[in-house]
Amino acid sequence: MRLDRAEIMDRLGVGVIVALAIFALALLLLPAVIVVVMSFDTRGYISFPPAGFTLDWYRKVFEQPVLTTAMWTSIKVGLYVTAICILLGVPTALACVRGDFRGATALSVFVLVPHMVPGIVLGVAVLFSGALLGIGPSIWLQSIALSCYVMAVMVRTVMARLQKLDPLLEQASANLGASRWQTFRTITFPLLLPAIMAGAVFTFIEGFDNLSVTIFTHGYRDRPLPIELLAIVQNTNSPLVAAVSSVQILLAMLALAAISLTIGLDRVNE
Amino acid sequence: MSEAGVLSSTTGAAQAAPVVAICKAVKRFGGLTVLDDCSLTAQEGEILTLLGPSGCGKTTLLRCIAGFLTPDSGEILIDGRDTIPVPVNRRSVGVVFQSYALFPHLSVAKNVAYGLRMRATPAAEIATRVKAALATVSLTGFEERYPSQLSGGQQQRVAIARVLVLEPRVLLLDEPFNALDAKLRGTMQMEMRHLIKRLGITAVFVTHDQEEALTMSDRIAVMRAGRIEQLGTPEEIFDRPQSAYVADFVGASNFWEGVAHAGRVALPDGQSVATALDGPVRVMLRPHNLVLRAVGGEAAAWDGTIRFRRHIGALMEYEIEVAGGRMLRAVALRDDTIAALAGGDRVSLGVRDAAACVAFPPA
Amino acid sequence: MNSKPLHIRLFDEVFSGTGIWPAVPAIIVLTVVAVIPFGVLLSLGFSDIVVSRGVIVSQELSLRHLATALADPLYHTTFQRSITLALTTTFFCTLLGFPVAYLFLIGGPWVRRIILVLTIAPILTSGIVRTYAWIVILGGRGVVNGVLMDLGLISAPLRIINTPWAVVIGMVQIHLPIMILPLIAVMSRHDRRLDEASANLGASRLGTLRHVILPLSVPGLGTGASLVFTLSYTTFVVPQLLGGGNYLNAATMIYEQVVYSLEWSKGAVTAMILMATCLIVLALFAWMTHLATGWTRVAQR
Repeated sequence: MRLDRAEIMDRLGVGVIVALAIFALALLLLPAVIVVVMSFDTRGYISFPPAGFTLDWYRKVFEQPVLTTAMWTSIKVGLYVTAICILLGVPTALACVRGDFRGATALSVFVLVPHMVPGIVLGVAVLFSGALLGIGPSIWLQSIALSCYVMAVMVRTVMARLQKLDPLLEQASANLGASRWQTFRTITFPLLLPAIMAGAVFTFIEGFDNLSVTIFTHGYRDRPLPIELLAIVQNTNSPLVAAVSSVQILLAMLALAAISLTIGLDRVNE
Repeated sequence: MSEAGVLSSTTGAAQAAPVVAICKAVKRFGGLTVLDDCSLTAQEGEILTLLGPSGCGKTTLLRCIAGFLTPDSGEILIDGRDTIPVPVNRRSVGVVFQSYALFPHLSVAKNVAYGLRMRATPAAEIATRVKAALATVSLTGFEERYPSQLSGGQQQRVAIARVLVLEPRVLLLDEPFNALDAKLRGTMQMEMRHLIKRLGITAVFVTHDQEEALTMSDRIAVMRAGRIEQLGTPEEIFDRPQSAYVADFVGASNFWEGVAHAGRVALPDGQSVATALDGPVRVMLRPHNLVLRAVGGEAAAWDGTIRFRRHIGALMEYEIEVAGGRMLRAVALRDDTIAALAGGDRVSLGVRDAAACVAFPPA
Repeated sequence: MNSKPLHIRLFDEVFSGTGIWPAVPAIIVLTVVAVIPFGVLLSLGFSDIVVSRGVIVSQELSLRHLATALADPLYHTTFQRSITLALTTTFFCTLLGFPVAYLFLIGGPWVRRIILVLTIAPILTSGIVRTYAWIVILGGRGVVNGVLMDLGLISAPLRIINTPWAVVIGMVQIHLPIMILPLIAVMSRHDRRLDEASANLGASRLGTLRHVILPLSVPGLGTGASLVFTLSYTTFVVPQLLGGGNYLNAATMIYEQVVYSLEWSKGAVTAMILMATCLIVLALFAWMTHLATGWTRVAQR
């Protein structure tokens, strides 16, 4: 096949773009791979290439009470945040989509605002307000602040699903004699469940991993994982951190699997 | 069958070099053969229709001509030159998409100017040609509108202007009337045919709607499972279908089972149908070829009871149950005698013209 | 209807879906935990306060801290550095993110799946972990130095970590998925027939990219750029860990003022300035997006 100059330039251009894309994807993948590789090193400090293979660091992760306590604290925060977001967020999404009161649009914007504000600003604001009222940082302050921060994710995921639901389904249910509560329980809720699950994955992750809000609101005794990690990363240079990181990467992969099973990866954006 | 179809149909068309020639095109997707040895030609200035149900390969064939797909084997020639090595953007083939695919972010004028801009045409020339193209499709004054501000019919005209402005050698139309409502569709079909004929462009038109095909085309290629079942003028396709499939797909048909002897099938009323077949056959009777009469009149082919009737505008369609429980469909102009017939009435059915019946092998 | 028990009627009312009702608890919580605190933050920025054992014991109206901050050269350089860093990050994320989105558009189902996994997985991973990976890579005995020394290209480790470059690299890599996701959302809605039409009208692949795909991606670019800017402008993890503690951006400044030196009024002022400048840049992005998407707002006839 004969190619003229224009065609060659065109293919070259597309080639450059695709090469950039592959570079970007490699950039996303490689750091995680390297961390996992380093977590098996036998030496007590990070040095590339690794000198041997050991699982000791993983054992040490689970032997360090500081880390396990922190992990447990973060799991609790994640669960609290998820619970609050489901309890408050799902009804809010219903009101935003189905409501015909004045200001329904304003409401949907209002709910999203805290997530658009930088987390660090929200964290500082909550810390100061608590101080004004005599409420010090604690796991509860942290959880409620994080819930407000990420509620938007839950509301938006559920809203997106609700907007796609055919309102005729609910009307058909009513027409067949179901009360509104029965309709919600048997029709609307099951159809919303995948969206709620997806929202729950994200709110849990945020509760578990968030640093910007957490750093100002967490309890001094209940130090969550990100805070401990930050301290460890700043102060030590051992593959222990790589092992902790690898565990987190594994958790992320599990969350990813959960998402692809509940709503499908391609619908994360909605 | 398709081989024979190609041969017989070329006799009706002009024998000049074809503008589009497809030779033994094959296309497979995975294990599925979508185009199976398709051969076809379109002559200068001709409107050729690819007609068939969804999944018959008509759109695939169109997309191969446009260059969006490359056939696995076979040739596609335009003006005698092989197009397969030619990149999509260098083919002199204009496509009007089913969804029109108008660029939503560009105004009407910029949509029409798009192809000229890609060819680095001088601005002054773009302006004149865009103006002329919009005038051709009667959209002068709509230059600054965006596609979302136009009606379906207007969007379609922009889509046509957008390709006509490039003066393509071949125009490809992929079910362009699907998105229009029934009434507008009829008008646009006539307009489109007039326009294409006025400009003398060779056009390949894809549709699953047999009425549309009969209205629009100079010749029709009826497709089935990736093959061309029959190629011919609308009259040939409708009056002399070469297979029961074509007879059934184009126009409504009744099939009556008879027996052929010595080249003729005898109908119950004494008329007979010529055939090359021998033994059991199915005879196609178009509904308009059946006449309704009062019972006991002249020699009737069948006596039966009206089971169902419906208005089709000026016509009335009946379903009549004849002996053995089989249903025959008849269509008649709605005059006074016909209008008086109602469900449950007994009637006789005659065959208007035995020469218009065609016999096929049994199913 | 009245024969139904009270709780059923209550549920019916709540789930009737036409009232503001179901949203009331969320509104209350958000007001108490987000809206009022922002007010408090503002008020603190305009006050003199005394803090004792984590509790504010006195507060007096004063513009002292705001005036000091606005006149302080340290503030000027810090915010300048933060904005430059965030804009650089946004620029490189766009430069790398758009090609990924384009590959997503032209790629088959497997390419799309790989892109989705590689984009979403980092979002689910902690920012500290991902920043830590860069310490491993760029550190004195890290991957880059290890490889370069093995190849004999350098004899002593390069100092990469704790430089502004390390911060930029880390910032771009960490915020890249945030740029890619909204672009992918646009791409998965993109009508490929438009690209075919463009090619059919004579456009090359690059022409189609430039004249059809790019203009239609503007909303995604706007969203992505806004998110990346906000996050990279207000993060302190990356500058803290890869800048070696001497790379001060606005976020690390707030962190130090509030957590270490306990200068809460200063912290409140810095947070206010951070938020205000952030909003100005976001408004600028929104305005640019608005200009490029005029066609979406033409009146529907």
